[in-house]
Parts: sequence; C-alpha cells; structure tokens
Amino acid sequence: MKKLSLLPVAAIVGLLFFQGTTKPEVENYPIHPVAGPDMPADVKAIVEQKCYGCHNAESKNDKGKEKLDWDAFEASKKSKQMATKGKISEVLAEGEMPPEKFLAQKPEGKLTEAELATLVEWSAGKKKGEN
Amino acid sequence: MQRRYWLLGGSALLFLAIQFVPNELPPVVMNNPDDLIQSGIVREEISSLLKVSCYNCHSNETEYPWYSYVAPSSWLVAKDVREAREELNFSNWQTYDMMEKLEKLDDISIEVDAEKMPLGIYTLIHTWAKLDETQRQLIVDWAEETMDVVVEEGEEDVGENE
Repeated sequence: MKKLSLLPVAAIVGLLFFQGTTKPEVENYPIHPVAGPDMPADVKAIVEQKCYGCHNAESKNDKGKEKLDWDAFEASKKSKQMATKGKISEVLAEGEMPPEKFLAQKPEGKLTEAELATLVEWSAGKKKGEN
Repeated sequence: MQRRYWLLGGSALLFLAIQFVPNELPPVVMNNPDDLIQSGIVREEISSLLKVSCYNCHSNETEYPWYSYVAPSSWLVAKDVREAREELNFSNWQTYDMMEKLEKLDDISIEVDAEKMPLGIYTLIHTWAKLDETQRQLIVDWAEETMDVVVEEGEEDVGENE
C-alpha cells in the first residue's frame, strides 16, 4: 500500500527522463561501390571506407541508416542532396562523425585530417552557391 | 500506518517545494513578421495542419496548458518547447538562409514520414495533433516540393548578385 502511493510520483519522475535513445551498433564494413555522377573520386573513396559501413540501405544500424543512407543519397534529387550535404558539413564541423562510441571499438575508423578536409570541402561546396 | 502518512506528507511537501524551483517557459509572441504562415507562402490545407500539429512547440505561438505552470511537468514543457524552437521555429522562417531552410524542410519530411513528429508524448495528451496517413503524406509532399522552390529561389538570388 505504501509503495502504491509512490507510484504516481515515480511515474512523473520517469516521464521526465523519457527520451528516445538508441545504442549505436558496431558492425563490420561491407564494401559496396558507391556510384554517383557528381561525387569526386576522392570523396567517394573516403565515403566507402569510412561512412558507408553504417550509412547504407541494408545497415543494421538503424540510426545511422535513418540519418544518412548513401544509396538513397545517390538517387535523390538535387535539393535533397544539397540539404544532406549541408547536414554532413555541420556534423563534420562538430566532430560528431564517426561517433566516439564507434571509434572506441574501431579506432582505425577515424577520419584522417586530410580525409576530413576533403569531405568538409565537398559537403560545404554548395553553400557558396557553386555547382 | 504511521509510516504511510509520513510518506504521503513527505511527497506532498516535496511537491510543494519543487514549485519554487525557477523555471522559465519560452515567451509567447503572436505577431511574427518572419513567420512561415503569416508571410502567406503556404497554402491553407498545409498551414492548418502545421498550426494544429507543429506550431505549439515549433513557433512563438505556444498555447501553454495549465500543467505547464505546475512542476515537474512545467520543466518538461519548458525544455521541450525551448529545444523545439531552437531546432525549428516557424515564426522565424524568413530569417533562415537557403541552406537552413533546406535542412529544416528535409528534417520535416524525414521526421514526419517516420512518425517521429509530432512526438508521441505530445500526442498522448494533445490527441487532436496526431497526424493520420493522409495528413502525414501532405506534409511530407509539401516539404519536398518546398525544398525545390527554395533551391530555385536561392539560385535566382545568386544570379542576381553576379
């Protein structure tokens, strides 16, 4: 009976902590060709090696797939690609990708400075109104 | 029996005490010249959907229910509205640049399509804000179309500046 009276309080406190969190999953990189007419070869190589493992249509990492799917990116229209590149650019600037939790288990997945620079330049490109 | 009263009394006291924890609800502003709907670029069908299902958090026109003045629910409301406006505030729509508009529209399309928005915890109480399949599709299509318009306009601007 005592515990029962605490239930509503616990429910309210629990509600405050209600937040949708999903754990990132580490998986092996499947190597798939990322085809695309407007992606420079150097960008494509980095993406395939360092991003595609989680960010693909078949990915078991739901969050990664949902945020960015390179297979869908290739097929998407111009405005969509621009939006995606804008978001990539932001995430890279914040140093959020690849995620720390992932790197803890796969340190070799980290982007080198040169790779990061290449991706940043490419993803930010259209911000200046270039094509 | 004695302990039960202590517990009840303690909870009541705690409840009263937390009412004094400072908590600021984001301000309500009804006149927003840069607002998406007020600038008249959205057709009626869509604007009414956005008003009902999004505007309470994603604009300055929040209608706070009574429990947003009572802790601890007030903390949750303040946090959610503050974060929602930071992420996307329709009242400031025209102040966003082309890339911001594009990214926000893309997010709208993705989140609404995946039924992530409106938040489940929100529609639990605000049942009328729940979107059905047709309404979801309307918003997704609108966001996608508007992305193309934003790019076209952006390119015109670039052309004019040259």
